[in-house]
Amino acid sequence: MSAHHPDDFTLLDYSAGSLDVAQALAVSVHIAYCRHCQEQFKKLNALGGILLSEAQPASLGAESQADDERVAPREPQAGTDDGFEALMQRIQSSGEQQRADEAPRERGFHNPLNRYLPASLDELAWKQQTREIAKFDLNKIINVPGARVALQKIKAGAKVPTHTHRGNELTVVLKGSFSDELGVYHAGDYIARDPSHHHSPTAMQNEDCICLTVLDAPMRFTGPFMRWLNPLMAWKG
Amino acid sequence: MLRTKAKAMSEQGTAKGDGPDWAKLLSKVANEGDTAAFRTVYDYFAPRIKAYAINQGMHQQAEELVQEVMTSVWRNADKYRDSLASASTWIFTITRNQRIDLLRKKSRSKAEITVDTEELWQIPTEDTTIRSIQAGSTEKKMKESIGELPEEQMIAVRKVYYEGKTHQEVAEELNVPLGTLKGRLRLSMKKLRVMLEATDL
Repeated sequence: MSAHHPDDFTLLDYSAGSLDVAQALAVSVHIAYCRHCQEQFKKLNALGGILLSEAQPASLGAESQADDERVAPREPQAGTDDGFEALMQRIQSSGEQQRADEAPRERGFHNPLNRYLPASLDELAWKQQTREIAKFDLNKIINVPGARVALQKIKAGAKVPTHTHRGNELTVVLKGSFSDELGVYHAGDYIARDPSHHHSPTAMQNEDCICLTVLDAPMRFTGPFMRWLNPLMAWKG
Repeated sequence: MLRTKAKAMSEQGTAKGDGPDWAKLLSKVANEGDTAAFRTVYDYFAPRIKAYAINQGMHQQAEELVQEVMTSVWRNADKYRDSLASASTWIFTITRNQRIDLLRKKSRSKAEITVDTEELWQIPTEDTTIRSIQAGSTEKKMKESIGELPEEQMIAVRKVYYEGKTHQEVAEELNVPLGTLKGRLRLSMKKLRVMLEATDL
């Protein structure tokens, strides 16, 4: 169980399906670690279920209606719509066997990165940014315009130079732990930082710290001697 | 068709409460490929899925979303567990994911390896915790409290959650300050017991 969670509104937007996929990645990784947020997510899904079942139904197959009509006023008459027959034909022609052919999914909430990383966290082709910080770019795996998604590895005991962000940064700890001016973070913890934060994360002494980071703008270093690092650390693309 | 329909209707007699016994119908779909049972599910949910799509601004793809969701319901009926969530919650999660999927397909480049929507928005499959037993009563309580929400809070929840609008958009639509809207959302979430802790705005 982690101690740092997405705030309630983030979970609300996540469950509603209105977060972008990069943010959703950070939230879903956190949820894989966090029983508390799993339960919150389920409750919020239930809200969706209630809103769906209580919504004014729209009539099917009536595409000619005015575009700005938000909902149709009446319960459709059963049997007046041939959409069901068309659906059954489509299902049958696309092959019943697809049901069985689907790859078995992992059961329960799990880290969505598991299926997509080419190697285990320790064996990834890390790109050294400095002697103590390495990066593995995830933009090829999950590509959202404007967002930079990566894994960052901080060597045990190392300190990342003080930096700030032009945009928002989401961090989820995958392995090890780090601390900054505001707290100590362990595996599964979810940390959201806006542009007003200056921070210098320090990995714990005992082990390298690996984090997922989602940035909606490049970060910039603010320490006096660290400005030269900017071009190196800047996200590609 | 009328006869199979009538058969499905008669089976609703065993339903708990006032609605059809969705869990039973879905298990008939899963185990027997029962099209009459599936038709009952379709007749209720398809028009609601379409309304959801329209509310989300997907006028052009509303029928497509209905087809995708109902196909998925047919194929995955065996994965439904009524101990985990009500049928409408389960179908909502499928609808949400299929909507995201349709939108992603439009913008995705072919070369890219992309994390599946099903991985980013995982649908609860099994639960080994004791809490799952409470799922039914949690939903029942939530349904009751939703009926008691003041209209302005209900509108805020609907617009943000069900219509997928940003807080800023909804605040502008309702002509209230952003903070007021967030306050309404927060109050309603507390009443629905989905918001447990005070967090920063």
